[in-house]
Amino acid sequence: MHGYEFYVDPSRCIGCQSCVKACEECETHRGKSMINFDFIDRSGTTATAAYVCWHCEEPTCAMACPADAIKKGEDGVVQSSLKPRCIGCSNCVLACPFGIPKVFPELEQMMKCDMCYDRTSIGKRPMCATVCPSQALSYVRPENITRRREKPTNVFYFGKQKIVTRVHMMVPETSDSVSLDVLDYMWEESDVAFAQPQ
Amino acid sequence: MSLLRSPSSEPLWKEEFSVFTADERYVTRRQFVKFLSLASVGMFVGNLWILAKAYFAKPPTYPASAIAEVGEIPVKGVKLFSYPGPDDRCIVVRTSEEEYVAYSQKCTHLSCAVYYSAKNDRLECPCHQGFFSIKDGSVLQGPPPRSLPKIVLQTAGGKLVATGVEVSENG
Amino acid sequence: MAKPDFTTQRRGLVAIDGAMALVIILLVVQIWLLSAALEGFLAGHHRVALPAAIFSGLLLACCLGLNAFVDRVDRESRKE
Repeated sequence: MHGYEFYVDPSRCIGCQSCVKACEECETHRGKSMINFDFIDRSGTTATAAYVCWHCEEPTCAMACPADAIKKGEDGVVQSSLKPRCIGCSNCVLACPFGIPKVFPELEQMMKCDMCYDRTSIGKRPMCATVCPSQALSYVRPENITRRREKPTNVFYFGKQKIVTRVHMMVPETSDSVSLDVLDYMWEESDVAFAQPQ
Repeated sequence: MSLLRSPSSEPLWKEEFSVFTADERYVTRRQFVKFLSLASVGMFVGNLWILAKAYFAKPPTYPASAIAEVGEIPVKGVKLFSYPGPDDRCIVVRTSEEEYVAYSQKCTHLSCAVYYSAKNDRLECPCHQGFFSIKDGSVLQGPPPRSLPKIVLQTAGGKLVATGVEVSENG
Repeated sequence: MAKPDFTTQRRGLVAIDGAMALVIILLVVQIWLLSAALEGFLAGHHRVALPAAIFSGLLLACCLGLNAFVDRVDRESRKE
């Protein structure tokens, strides 16, 4: 929005959790961070990754919601669940291919990243992108991201489902898309082509 | 409703409860326009109903009814009678020695009873100052939109007989 | 499912707003026509019934045409 796009580069993440703390400070969900912070293999490596909601073009969470509580606005941001409608059923938690929505049982409400809509709608950057020291989470203009070695992609494959998102992921130059299915990385290349929709 | 809906790949529930807020606004407007079209259909049906009634309306038959004796009423005098039914109040005025005119007494504005003013030689409605001509019942002044229906009179056997009602085509 | 493009959606909504305003105007005219026809009929002018019904039908056709237009704009905005 306003010419900016969100880019996630997990390889840059240093695990400082500034994003988690910054997100927690938001008045509307104080104390609860909407960042999905992943210790990838805590015993084996110090590598970490921080993820925000990917704001898919056709949000699976919204389509799975039985209460019609998740809406995607005209500007492409998938909003967090509407308070009067959410019943805390966790359908969206199960449906999301990226595992982003979080249900808080004490509130009976799902909450998720909404790209700091109060900030991005007026041209500011989301809190996480503002505080990330390594810019693993960055909110910049598309022409600025071309300076990096990696290239951004917003196409994901989850089994046979093709997901196009608003938020970009930085991938090696040779890749075009990211496969979320673990099996896709275990099969031979020819079989991977067979598994994905054409 | 399936007749009024153009074919689409999405089921109706998916369109009506869309996850995209932009489409939601479309749905509300679309439903409203559909409702307006329905209202339009309803009014067209109303017009057809009027047409049917006009087409199948029978010309009304009026019984002949004696209302007064010839000479009973003085010149410039009036007599009230009911014709064709007991609730249809009428007024007959003897305008001269030989001439009698009779009209429905219901003012065409809001149905007040008109009376004959000998001074002004016209029928007057006291409610809103509507005046009718004594010659043909047409509106001289005031809010009445149409002329007074005229009662057709005939003399037979020394009696004044009412034989019909004339409603003028023009107001 | 729709891949909403902001500008296209806006234009579609403006078109639908215009069509809606037109429909409301036509409806007001049709209401007046119905009341005038009824008044005329009750006054005994039976000849007004046919032209009134014809014009009411024309207004209805325009309303249905605008309804179809709104539907078409709606479908197209979803397809894009």
